[in-house]
Amino acid sequence: MSCREISDTWTAHRPATTTAHTETSLRIVAFLCTWCSYAGADKAGANQLPVPPELSVIRVMCSGRVEPTLLLEAFQGGADGVMLLACHPGDCHYKEGNLRAACRAELLLPLLPQLGIDPARFCFDYVSAAEAEKFSRLTVDFAERLRQLPSQSDPSEDSG
Amino acid sequence: MPDRIKTVVILCSCSGIVTEKIDWAQVQDLLAHHPCKPLFRVDELACGADNLEQLTAWLRQEQPDRVVVAACSPREHEPTFRRLLADAGINPWMLQLVNIREQVAWVTDAPLQATRKAARMLSAALYRVQRHEPLAERQVPVRTEVAIVGAGPAGMQAALTLARAGRRVTLIEREPLIGGLAVRFEELFPGLECGPCLLEPLMGELLHGPESPRVTILTLSDLTGVTGSFGNWNLTVRQRPRFINPDLCIGCMLCAAVCPARRPNGWNRTGELAAVDVPFAGALPNLPHIAADACLRLNGTPCDLCLTECPVAGAMDFSDTGQELQLQAGALIIATGAVEQQSIPPSFAAATNLHTAYSFERLLAMNGPTGGELVTASATPPASVVLVHCAGSLDSSATAYCSATCCRAALKYAHLAAAKLEGAEITRLVREQSLPGVEAARQYHGDRSRVHRYERLSDLRVTGSGPDQTITLPSGESVPAELIVLLRPLAAGDGTGMAASLLELTTGEGGFVTPLHSLSAPCSSPLLGVYLAGSCRGPGDIREAFASGAAAAGLALSELVEGRDLVVDPQVAVVDAVRCAGCRTCIQLCPYQAIGWNSRERSAEVTDILCRGCGTCVAACPAGAITGRGFSRAMLRAEIEGVLA
Repeated sequence: MSCREISDTWTAHRPATTTAHTETSLRIVAFLCTWCSYAGADKAGANQLPVPPELSVIRVMCSGRVEPTLLLEAFQGGADGVMLLACHPGDCHYKEGNLRAACRAELLLPLLPQLGIDPARFCFDYVSAAEAEKFSRLTVDFAERLRQLPSQSDPSEDSG
Repeated sequence: MPDRIKTVVILCSCSGIVTEKIDWAQVQDLLAHHPCKPLFRVDELACGADNLEQLTAWLRQEQPDRVVVAACSPREHEPTFRRLLADAGINPWMLQLVNIREQVAWVTDAPLQATRKAARMLSAALYRVQRHEPLAERQVPVRTEVAIVGAGPAGMQAALTLARAGRRVTLIEREPLIGGLAVRFEELFPGLECGPCLLEPLMGELLHGPESPRVTILTLSDLTGVTGSFGNWNLTVRQRPRFINPDLCIGCMLCAAVCPARRPNGWNRTGELAAVDVPFAGALPNLPHIAADACLRLNGTPCDLCLTECPVAGAMDFSDTGQELQLQAGALIIATGAVEQQSIPPSFAAATNLHTAYSFERLLAMNGPTGGELVTASATPPASVVLVHCAGSLDSSATAYCSATCCRAALKYAHLAAAKLEGAEITRLVREQSLPGVEAARQYHGDRSRVHRYERLSDLRVTGSGPDQTITLPSGESVPAELIVLLRPLAAGDGTGMAASLLELTTGEGGFVTPLHSLSAPCSSPLLGVYLAGSCRGPGDIREAFASGAAAAGLALSELVEGRDLVVDPQVAVVDAVRCAGCRTCIQLCPYQAIGWNSRERSAEVTDILCRGCGTCVAACPAGAITGRGFSRAMLRAEIEGVLA
């Protein structure tokens, strides 16, 4: 099953929106590799493009450094959305760390529904050092998407 | 959080740019009850030279254990603030920089939101920095000698560049001669400069020039083993026997004149050589060598004709068994080159007077099989010559890429054939033509050969033989083709494959070695201290060989400096041998071959010199046995908890 199919399946069974998030209560954790996506985020700053204030960036040397458990720990800690942004395929400063990250993201996605997490709350994408605009758009859209989702139950309280 | 860890926070206003959005007083209020109990300080411009002096004095006085700086992007001033800590006598790795300029102040509209976000990011940094550990850069003495594999133009240029800078160099060459391919070519594109004339001064300088005492040339030699890492490579070189003592032989070639045994002349692709001979007149070093499989004496037949003829006692040494050498070098330059594909496409299998580019070059050469006479097998000048471009190239079912050098060669051949064969009909059959560059245009516009386009090599039909040989195109048109030259694709040679496999370098299409970066690091390999020159990286001509040879030497010179130790970045991966289960996932995964297997500890082990700190192995280890220094799991967890608190 592809990432998209998993997302679609989940969407079909998603409970109707009950309470929308207020802006201030949203919490987004974004893991950015220092060479491409973090540099893109810096350029978004230099170009004064909007980035959601709820976004908290955690810088890593390579997206390949981020194991899925760290992403899950962010959800467990109460993040409403988690992003992992990598260099474009072929652009990785460490040759292929971004591809490892992509594979892990692909494996993580089917796991999320099993843990009671809406896959729409996770975003893996590629942002180059020049893509300030893409970084801004991705993060703004992701925050908007999260605001539209029903508020999460606390996964640690949900014993099934 | 233990009270005894003293943490300070330096808040930079960036000359008021940051404080347009972020209220530092409010940030301090928001963090007033942070468990780390930080001490705050606001600076108008933290990175200013005067301010850094004041900060150094302040840090010396406060003696904090941890320092958090809220300023601009770590991509800009992290090194500045690490130096600040070092100057203040604090371990520079006890720093955490928070990017509140690019990623907070400049991207957030409302000041209140920006202030809150800054406080959140600072809170996370405070938690994270508690997990930091003092790190130290390791200094490793490096050797400055360089070993170069391949003594073609690229390897020779690298060797000379290094030797001129005072470096000791060892050139490891598989053949009995140096100079590579270009030294066997009579004329070079585009100016028809003579190959030996261009290269002999270079070879002379390597062999006898003022730099020659620093240059060791090992001919008939293969690199057979490599261990170690950047700055300290240990190389094993197998040198095959020459049966000639290079210190005694005077190069008179009397031996070759009397030798009764013959062997095929591989260097000309035609004709024969004596069992003791030089590949061709003018080959350097000026020493014959004995082909062991052809020599009568070495095969048990009593023969001492050469021994009797040799004027220097001991110059001929039939007891030579070659040698295995152990060399040490700081860096390695791979300059093993490329070769044309040898196979003949089926549609040309029955053709007569068929040449590939190499054998045609030799036919044109004054020291070639015919003394430079352009003749057919029956020793008569051909009435027609057909040059087949892209013979196997640009074909997804054969060789997908363009070898980039063959169109240049074909124009040269057309020109030389027209000059040597008065009235001969010269035809170029092309699929595509690739002739970039100013000089190529001159040759292109001066070309008078007939040009036909063809679609597929298999569409070309060779009929007849000798003077009646023709090539028929799919249109039905026949082209007289008494002599045919196929311009076959270039691929990496055996030497390139062998070096790549010894060093576990990745090879791509055509077997060429993949450089660290095809645009920005084309002469570096992914392995630190291993550089690439010439066409082991992909098809190229002599210009690229010279340029990349000098480039590779320059990289070796800048990275290995006498008296300057290698400084190893401490932000590397470290394996906990006790927790390592031995699955070796990390070994497979590391893009830099930085992880090996320690059989004594039964654990994976990271060579810090090779590790570049990406952390891919850290994330992959199923046992969680690998720590990424500077980005440890504990640090990242603290940061996650911090931003979510």
